[in-house]
Amino acid sequence: MSTLTSSKSATSAPQPVRRRRNRGGVSPALRADHNLARSIGVFILWIVVVVSIAMLAWIVLQAFRDTREILSSPWGMPTSFDFANFSTAWNVSGFAMATLNSVVTTAVSSSVCVAVACPAAYYLSRVESRFTSGLSMYFIIGLGIPAQVILIPLFVMLDKVHLTDSLIGLNLVYIGLSMPFTVFLLTAFFRSLPLEMEEAAALDGASALRTFVQITLPLAKGGILTAFVLLLVSHWNETLLALTLIQSTDKYTLPVALISFVQQQTYSGADWGGLFAGLCIVILPMLIIYMWLGRRLTEGLTLGMGK
Amino acid sequence: MSALTTKRRRRAPAPAEKPEREHGGSSIDRQRRRLLIPFVGPAFIFYTVLFIVPAIAAVWISLNDWAGSGPMTFVGFKNYIQVFQDQLFLKSFGNTLLLLFVVGAVIFTLAFAMTLVLRDMAAKKIVRNVIFFPHLINALVFGVLAGFIFNPGGMVNTLLKPLGVSEPPAWLAQDNIFPLIMATMVMTTTGYFTTILMAGVDRIPPYFYEDCALAGATAFQRLRYVILPLTWDVFGTCAVLWTISSIKIFEIIWVFGGSSGAGIPPTQSWTVAVYTYVTAFSGLSTPAYGAATASAIISLALVSVLVVLLRRAMRRDVIEF
Repeated sequence: MSTLTSSKSATSAPQPVRRRRNRGGVSPALRADHNLARSIGVFILWIVVVVSIAMLAWIVLQAFRDTREILSSPWGMPTSFDFANFSTAWNVSGFAMATLNSVVTTAVSSSVCVAVACPAAYYLSRVESRFTSGLSMYFIIGLGIPAQVILIPLFVMLDKVHLTDSLIGLNLVYIGLSMPFTVFLLTAFFRSLPLEMEEAAALDGASALRTFVQITLPLAKGGILTAFVLLLVSHWNETLLALTLIQSTDKYTLPVALISFVQQQTYSGADWGGLFAGLCIVILPMLIIYMWLGRRLTEGLTLGMGK
Repeated sequence: MSALTTKRRRRAPAPAEKPEREHGGSSIDRQRRRLLIPFVGPAFIFYTVLFIVPAIAAVWISLNDWAGSGPMTFVGFKNYIQVFQDQLFLKSFGNTLLLLFVVGAVIFTLAFAMTLVLRDMAAKKIVRNVIFFPHLINALVFGVLAGFIFNPGGMVNTLLKPLGVSEPPAWLAQDNIFPLIMATMVMTTTGYFTTILMAGVDRIPPYFYEDCALAGATAFQRLRYVILPLTWDVFGTCAVLWTISSIKIFEIIWVFGGSSGAGIPPTQSWTVAVYTYVTAFSGLSTPAYGAATASAIISLALVSVLVVLLRRAMRRDVIEF
């Protein structure tokens, strides 16, 4: 009761008082101007948000229904939580193997890529000379080369050393392909770190190597994790190279398995239930990563790209 | 141990030398320099062997007639001429340009509008997080979903029926697929660029807005004279990013609408990336590695030219806040 009256008195209070009650002392210049176009914009944005979440929920829900149900009423809810689609997708359609391949490839290639790129980025960020800036440029060039340019030569090269249709080959390709981006991002990140700690370590007699391992790496944990997660996302979703380099079913990664599943359907009739289960397996790890480290992801992307 | 102490002694007068530190005279810098091979070496080798060498090899292959195995014959620019006379390539190239420019323009307009609305919206973090998420999902997923949503008995048509549309358009007819792909691209990519633009807009210090309010600037003037100039460089970066990524668009086209019988999407919706892949690996005809690589090199040339032009056009003095 007392709160009610106090809020009432606040609203009826003269202007200056009201202004002070603004959230966190935000100045009036920063407050939203209220007009029709804006309200429509806000409304549309909320619709987008609701539709996106509904879409995601819908995909997950459909994965629990069988194909006949899905086709007869695409808007329906699952009647029971039946994991039949998942178990079929998992056991019969080869998604289990594909998931395992994808997990291993993604984890290995991302870790190696970060491990290799870290020292290089450190060197490029700390030693300033014409040579290192040339070297940095050399790495940056790779950012602009689309994957399809190196697709065929890579295929031929790997074929010569019998690394096509092999997950080792695919890992190597991912490492090389992500190197420019990782070096670029980590160089930007190392540059943003304060030098004082390193100088202090040097004064204490630590060697350059030791300074890097014991001082800079722990300081840079956040940036390294960001780079790692960004690599996880891009390697998990990579399709074109996997599709080209991998031929045998037991080495398919998830996107390739999904493509082959879709293409089988044109002959064997649609299995939408299984397909939705497959989509869930592709999406959910990304959703988990995003929930867990989402802020890092967006920050990392904007840090790397803001330059 | 003694080495340690001598080092220490040597570095003792360091503070006096501080202004000269940039010359790299101090021993820590010298030590660092020696780390070139162990530190940069591995990354350099991975990158050179798996990226730069193939890229150079691509240029060479594109000048040859080659079916993958057997002899390579040097043919000069014949592949390029042949590719440019190929109706399929021209169609694919046109589609890539459509994605690049039309979809790009729509995305940037929408993203900027969304940024302006989001800038001072309540709960902007939630909205921003939700609209960013599609960027993390493989584009395959959207392609597959579109097949479900737009198929003749699918969701869109069941929605349209109560509205009196008894004969809905054949969404997934070969001619209609590409516009649908473009719409899907807009829907799934706008959020990503909104997030990046937001980061740029958030960097603008609040006193600029306060100044605007004091000077009595209208919302449009504030947009024109404060927000746009201060986020211009972020726009430039986004444009470069979109150029690079739009050239690579492949997955969504490959499976859009559930794909056709042969496992190859209808030619009306091809992009250059699809053209390259099909020409080399489809297994339908003799693989033409030369022509396929030539088409990829052409897309690389397109990217390079556009990126250089963009950097020129968007170049501004760096603004420090």
